[in-house]
Amino acid sequence: MNPNDSDASRFRSATADRRGERDLDDLLIHVARGDQVAFEALYDRMAGPVYGVIRRVLRDPSQSEEVAQEVLLEVWRTAARFDPAMGGAATWVTTIAHRRAIDRVRSTTAAAGREQKTADVSPPHDEVAEAVEASLDRERVRRCLDSLTEMQRESITLAYYGGHSYRQVAELLNVTLGAIKTRIRDGLIRMRDCLGVS
Amino acid sequence: MRFFRQDLHTLTGAYVLDALDPGSELTRFDRHLDRCQSCASEVRGFREVATAMAFAATTEPPAEMRDRVLAAVARTRQLPPEVRTHARPRRTRSAAPWIPWLSGAIATAAIAVAVFFGFAQAHTSSELNQARAQNQALAAAQARVEAALSQAKEHDQALAEILGAPHVTLLSQRTTKGGVAVVVLDAATRKLVVATSGLPALPAGEVYQLWLIGPVRIVSAGLLPTAQAGVTTPVVATGIVKGDRLGLTVEPAPGTKQPTTTPILALPLPV
Repeated sequence: MNPNDSDASRFRSATADRRGERDLDDLLIHVARGDQVAFEALYDRMAGPVYGVIRRVLRDPSQSEEVAQEVLLEVWRTAARFDPAMGGAATWVTTIAHRRAIDRVRSTTAAAGREQKTADVSPPHDEVAEAVEASLDRERVRRCLDSLTEMQRESITLAYYGGHSYRQVAELLNVTLGAIKTRIRDGLIRMRDCLGVS
Repeated sequence: MRFFRQDLHTLTGAYVLDALDPGSELTRFDRHLDRCQSCASEVRGFREVATAMAFAATTEPPAEMRDRVLAAVARTRQLPPEVRTHARPRRTRSAAPWIPWLSGAIATAAIAVAVFFGFAQAHTSSELNQARAQNQALAAAQARVEAALSQAKEHDQALAEILGAPHVTLLSQRTTKGGVAVVVLDAATRKLVVATSGLPALPAGEVYQLWLIGPVRIVSAGLLPTAQAGVTTPVVATGIVKGDRLGLTVEPAPGTKQPTTTPILALPLPV
């Protein structure tokens, strides 16, 4: 039993809603001051999304774990650089996670031959639908993805979950670069409105 | 490739999904973002969408991962906050787009890869990563260089500070005698770390000496250590002034007060 558990749950119980954006921001501010207990609480909230999004992009469990560990350690190291004015803590952390996953994809592409991996990218939309664990986020995101045109949905999921550059997405969907840029942007605008992002 | 302004604007979506090609396109968009308020606010909104998509992908990580991360945290020093000297948060990247700005987190790896592979041209971290990934055989050797670097860092506070600095610049140049010098420059503190790879071995009684060659005077920055397997361990130089170039000459041991031979390297240092 970890003696810090009660401290960690003190942070957790302060969470009103599921995501508790503001509490996450507070946690991260404590983390920036070297508070390891706050980091534990942050870990418990963010490790799932961090590992999940990396896993979705990279597929390989052991590689994903390696990258997720690097990301979480980077969060600890650079917490003092977090600026709440630029977006919430959840966004800051997941942005780092996705970027590091993409870095890994781009750096191993040349060596490993991405073609093989591209072949088994089943449409991520189905994966969202097949999600084992129903969650509010999943539901919300699925509903909003469903509200997009097929082309918008595919462009966004191939880029974000599939880890493809927009040029690769254009290639995969056999449309022009200009069309892909527009579809991704229009799709995100619709997602933003659907998710009720202010 | 040329982009019109309007094209750049429509890249907000691809940018947030990390779907821009690394390199000039990303750099251009980053610079555009500095100037384009409406793009920046659109990016903020899109980031929230991406965050929701990340949460939707939530997957329970392996239980051991928690212990490993917490153990690593317990022995990892945190970076200090950025002290703002400008009214606006700055984006150093836009200052000189051809110079790769690295975060401290990857500076160590970058210098190790660059030194080991003797790169003078491959600059960006993604290029370095790619080269590393492509060459399995050298990856192990590179890991040794990285290990030596981190060991050196433990003994050398000045080195650790530079390699961990928030914004460092990676510079490299071939010398006229072959081999390459790789520099990690921390412009904020006017310090640098230099290591070399593949310089020709010198006869007994001669040494490689580093110089800060300024517009007004030339100052010795110390001797290069003897190379191990072609690679010299990193040396720290401080007190860089505007207009300085990093010079390297061959001098009689144990070094001289002023250079007596023509520099085989003269690398401009943007501070």
